[in-house]
Amino acid sequence: MQGKGLIVNPFWSNIFRSRGYEKTLAYFLSTMPMFNKLDKRELGFLENIVHLRNYHSDEVVFNQGDIGSGMYFIRSGQVQIFNQDEHGTEVVQAVLEAGDFFGEVALTASRPRCASARTTEPTVLIGLFRSDVLEAVRRHPVPTAKIMLGLNRIIADRLLQCSLQLETLKRQQTLAKKQQSHE
Amino acid sequence: MNSQGGMTRAQVAVFYLVMTTSIASGIAIYSSASTATALLKTATAGLFLPVLISLIVSFLLDPLVQYVEGKRINRTISIFVVYIFLFLATSLLLLIIGPPNWEGMIQALKADFPRYISHSIKYLNGLLMIAQEHFPFIVNYDIAELISSTSQSFFGLILKETPQSAMRVASLLLLVPLFSFFFLRDSRRIMRSLISLTPNRYFEMVLDIYAHVSWQLAHFIRGRILEALIIGVVVWMGLSLTDIHYAPILGIIAGATNLVPYIGPLIGMIPGLIIAVVDLGTGGQFWWVLCVYFIIGQVILDNFILIPILISRVSNLHPLWVILAIIMGGKLYGVIGMMIGVPIASILNIIIIEIRQYRRTFNPYNRYFSSRGKLL
Repeated sequence: MQGKGLIVNPFWSNIFRSRGYEKTLAYFLSTMPMFNKLDKRELGFLENIVHLRNYHSDEVVFNQGDIGSGMYFIRSGQVQIFNQDEHGTEVVQAVLEAGDFFGEVALTASRPRCASARTTEPTVLIGLFRSDVLEAVRRHPVPTAKIMLGLNRIIADRLLQCSLQLETLKRQQTLAKKQQSHE
Repeated sequence: MNSQGGMTRAQVAVFYLVMTTSIASGIAIYSSASTATALLKTATAGLFLPVLISLIVSFLLDPLVQYVEGKRINRTISIFVVYIFLFLATSLLLLIIGPPNWEGMIQALKADFPRYISHSIKYLNGLLMIAQEHFPFIVNYDIAELISSTSQSFFGLILKETPQSAMRVASLLLLVPLFSFFFLRDSRRIMRSLISLTPNRYFEMVLDIYAHVSWQLAHFIRGRILEALIIGVVVWMGLSLTDIHYAPILGIIAGATNLVPYIGPLIGMIPGLIIAVVDLGTGGQFWWVLCVYFIIGQVILDNFILIPILISRVSNLHPLWVILAIIMGGKLYGVIGMMIGVPIASILNIIIIEIRQYRRTFNPYNRYFSSRGKLL
């Protein structure tokens, strides 16, 4: 009896209806750029090595200078990345939304975090940590190699972008110097 | 009618009733709580050993299971594959070599034991005579008598416990494979769900420390057990070259006592040396036995080959802690406690060292922590 224009009272909507594949963690992971080359079996394997963490709003994920041990994907919610300058005031670097990821530098080696991260609303994060990846390398080398390749691709892309930006900046600087000398 | 502070008689009755029932139920709850702990104690009394052994077995088998799992086989099936392989290997070994005649050996040992004891007592008496010549004030101290009585009662205890321990071994043979199957299959899941209980702020640290500690622990346990096995087999082989009786039993004793550092190997060689002296005399064969125990077993194999390869230096315990662990383990669980006390102390040591290490290396404010060396 549900017509097209009929607004169904949410009380009567079937909450027991089976969730589609789009709602699963595996599907969410497959939408990440670094995991989009994995097949379903490998996604299922990945699902078993990540950790799902729930955060309240305004909760610290990590602080600048903490020793990082892994990266996070934002499943839902919002995360603010910020630095503190020497006066202690916060400088917001980025605001990340669902589908973004951060902290990937700490995944391969334990480096101090170069910025702090804090949630701004109730957030679900998916953590992928170094110790789990190392164990996965021993237990399932093939899918882990694919995961690491994807991560490598992302970091390489970022590096490329950075070097391009550096190039343009250098060019601008030399241009500015030339103009100064002309004047 | 309604006297007594404005309460009717019915109210007073109800009040008393409520008070008495609450007191009674409080006492009942209290006593049942104490009986509950007692029940818990009796229920878990026999479980300590099987659980411990199955944990050790699962630590030992984990690399094999991982190897099979690497061939893209489901973990449960890999565990079964490893089990079947081990079963076939042991039965094949028993078929080829033939089982050692344990029962005959124990019967013979039962017959020979008084002879060994009396010989060592004679030797000790000789020593005592010499000692008394130099220190006359210990005349009245009868060491020999003390030793003979304690060793007799100890051996009697072993004989009495043998049927019981046979029952226990049978139940272990049933329980250990079962427990270690589940430990092998689900330990990761159990640990993950336990770790996921930690608050968000400490999650990364806990996960990291857990990974370090479990790696160290796996290496330590595997190393210790393998070391004991190799020492046992080498001592068995070495002693088999002589005419000494009971080489297999002496090998087992040497391997088992090797689990206790510093003191264990020394105690492990005493029975072998006594038997060698009594049966073979102090000829060339005795020196060969001593050589097998001391130079081949301890110095060459243990110190130069096994410990550097199998066991990291991290888990070295200070001798004082070793002695304390042996005494406390013995108080808790008798002879078995003496054997496992030191490994458990080493495990605690590893955990403490890892946590300290983590805090020192991974804390940017490490100037607040002392820069002194190990605690233990």
